Amino acid sequence: MANPEAPIPVPNSVWRMEKARLQDLIDALRRQGYTVIGPCIREGAIVYDEIHQVSDLPIGWTDEQDGGRYRLKRREDSSFFGYAVGPHSWKRFLHPPVLSLGRARRNGAGFEWIAPSDPAPRYAFLGVRACELHAIAILDRVFMGGPYVDPTYQARREGVFLIAVQCAVAGGTCFCASMGTGPKAPPGADLILTELAEAFIVEIGTERGAALMAGIPCAPATEADRAAVEAQLAATARAMGRQMDTTDLPALLYRNLEHPRWEEVAQRCLTCGNCTMVCPTCFCFTVEDVSDLTGTQAERVRRWDSCFTTEFTYTAGRPIRQSAKARYRQWLTHKLASWWEQFGTSGCVGCGRCITWCPVGIDLTEEVAAIRRTDGATLEAERR
Amino acid sequence: MIPSPTHPSAPTLERFLPTPYPVTGIRRETGDTVTLRLRPPEGRPSAFQPGQFNMLYLFGIGEVPISISGVHPRSGDLEHTVRAVGSVTRALARLRKGDVVGVRGPFGKGWPLEEAKGHDILILAGGIGLAPLRPALQHILAHRSEYKQVVLLYGARTPADLLYPAELERWRGRLDLQVFVTVDRGDEAWRGHIGVVTTLLPLAERLLDFRKAFILMCGPEVMMRVAARELEDRKVPPERIFLSLERNMKCAVGFCGHCQFGPVFICRDGPVFPLGRVRPLLEVREL
Amino acid sequence: MSKAAILEALRQHPFTHDMEEAWKEVLAEMARLQTYPPDALLLREGRAADAFFLIVDGLVAIEMFAPERGTLRLQTVSAGEVVGWSWALPPYRWEFDARALAETTAVVLDAAALRARMSQDCALAAWILSRLLAVVAGRLKATRLQLLDLYAPSERRTP
Repeated sequence: MANPEAPIPVPNSVWRMEKARLQDLIDALRRQGYTVIGPCIREGAIVYDEIHQVSDLPIGWTDEQDGGRYRLKRREDSSFFGYAVGPHSWKRFLHPPVLSLGRARRNGAGFEWIAPSDPAPRYAFLGVRACELHAIAILDRVFMGGPYVDPTYQARREGVFLIAVQCAVAGGTCFCASMGTGPKAPPGADLILTELAEAFIVEIGTERGAALMAGIPCAPATEADRAAVEAQLAATARAMGRQMDTTDLPALLYRNLEHPRWEEVAQRCLTCGNCTMVCPTCFCFTVEDVSDLTGTQAERVRRWDSCFTTEFTYTAGRPIRQSAKARYRQWLTHKLASWWEQFGTSGCVGCGRCITWCPVGIDLTEEVAAIRRTDGATLEAERR
Repeated sequence: MIPSPTHPSAPTLERFLPTPYPVTGIRRETGDTVTLRLRPPEGRPSAFQPGQFNMLYLFGIGEVPISISGVHPRSGDLEHTVRAVGSVTRALARLRKGDVVGVRGPFGKGWPLEEAKGHDILILAGGIGLAPLRPALQHILAHRSEYKQVVLLYGARTPADLLYPAELERWRGRLDLQVFVTVDRGDEAWRGHIGVVTTLLPLAERLLDFRKAFILMCGPEVMMRVAARELEDRKVPPERIFLSLERNMKCAVGFCGHCQFGPVFICRDGPVFPLGRVRPLLEVREL
Repeated sequence: MSKAAILEALRQHPFTHDMEEAWKEVLAEMARLQTYPPDALLLREGRAADAFFLIVDGLVAIEMFAPERGTLRLQTVSAGEVVGWSWALPPYRWEFDARALAETTAVVLDAAALRARMSQDCALAAWILSRLLAVVAGRLKATRLQLLDLYAPSERRTP
């Protein structure tokens, strides 16, 4: 029960919460029927999965990330969130990797659909980074901002409780500072946590966040607390592992569609599609209709897909984008250029996952820099 | 104004699950192409804009985007001309009267028939590209006085590959429509034009003022790219040249990402585009 | 055949319509207006290329005869276009047949006379050859597109 003499949490107010109270937060969310998803360690990586206890979190762990490299390492302290992002992003819960759209059953009129009846899960996301909040906002525009609305995304998204965490650690492949997507969390989260040595500083984002905090004992944040938060954000911003010059980036890429660098990166790219799987904003999917053995029922399934596959652009019998060069170019120019025309923002939030999880360590910040250095180069000019 | 039956704001599952339509007729057009007639069930809208497409579904096999190629005059059933090139289209081409096809749609942006009122119209069709243009021509002929000079240029591979031959004859017989047909290769009986369809442009030039006409075209992308250049040489403004593009589609509503062509989604921003919107994209290899 | 009718045809035909009037009169002197009934040959493979045809009306097919396959019709040429450029290049010999598919009227220019005139008048030669080059280029481009067989069914199958 909150101390009746303490001020009541309202949006925009800032509080100091003992670390142990995080468990109370989790419990309160679960009592309200939320499935709490948070970071935990599985098979040597920090991923997102359901958590019940604070001890499920990777306390005292950090990650070392570089192009094609990811290792966990023990920290010298017991930070709860002392690491960057792992191979999972929150998109797997809002835009599931595999989703049944319905089951067709033969009948007299031909067939009828049995729509999936399970209600949308109610998630609480614990530990959403600034870049990830931007990524969620981007997916909101993709799936709910256009002439059509995706009902699956909308149902899951509307109920989500978001607890953001402002990064104390900048990853080896992070560049949110360049992209303007962090480390400070944008508005939209219900609660924004910043972890200091001895406590969490909690900023209330919404009425819903305030209501949850009303039941948690905490004290108003002091000036020193706020200063510590700002100092930490500044330090994190300075420690970014990568950086990207985004000056006029769409125009740069549009005028360099025949740049020799695409051919060069294609020599390295395996077109494995890892980058699209780990990217928090890649949204492409395919739809499959699969009949059962008796042929009386056929399920329609939606499944994540990647523009790196050769089948992706099969039209009238052959792929339009056949070469690795064309497929890599499509991914990068969509992410950094055409996304603007389609959705009004960049598609990239600077999380660095594509760099870390690329088996050959292709680094899009490096590719963009290379094109920028030799803006206007063409193969003919090079050969002369 | 042709009413648009799409109600995009409702996030209903209906957008994503096909409705069964019975096949009320099937006509073999050529060796590998048929025209299916589908009857919308009670309560399902049958209005569409020429140039739009439906996603046609066969139980347990899959879905493909097929342009609506016309309206059957007596029944009002929707016609779809399908070329058998893959597993779904081959199965569609083997259907019989009474079979059932799942339908989702109509989707996409159609031909600018409102904007084109009061102008000369040139329709340039290559191969199966005539299919999405046919409902446009049907509409124009049904409202003939609202348009000026109308010319159809149609190219097919061989005389045996000509679509809608009976209709072509009727169109050729009309005094208010000029029809020129060419084939890439003739046969013993063919005494008409032989050559690619763009070779017919000079014939159209004698009948229309290209600088003021609306040009509607559909066919292989190479054909449209070449034709676009020849039309630009003849000073046709790009905002009056329209083409219909195609790409792989899964969802038809701009979510699955498959149909992207540069920044445009063919399913939602097209399939009909004014040339200005896509001109630079057509020049990029493997875009 | 009145010269006036030929001159008028030259004024109307896209190949010559913007030619200097004086040259049109020169050409009219070495031309005749000829009508070919359906199936008549305008020119035959192997014969001397002694004429340049401006098609005024009708439809002409460019053909080749192959014993194993019969008459192969390759392309057609319509009213407003021209047939024949071998008259302008040695060995001045037709390489294909050209046949009227429908009743066809053409302005037929005497190639020998035209060549003689062109060798004396460089400006006329340049004018005619540059127009002829454009015709050949257009015909080659169309032929290449025809070769692409764009409407052919593809070999790799998908829905």
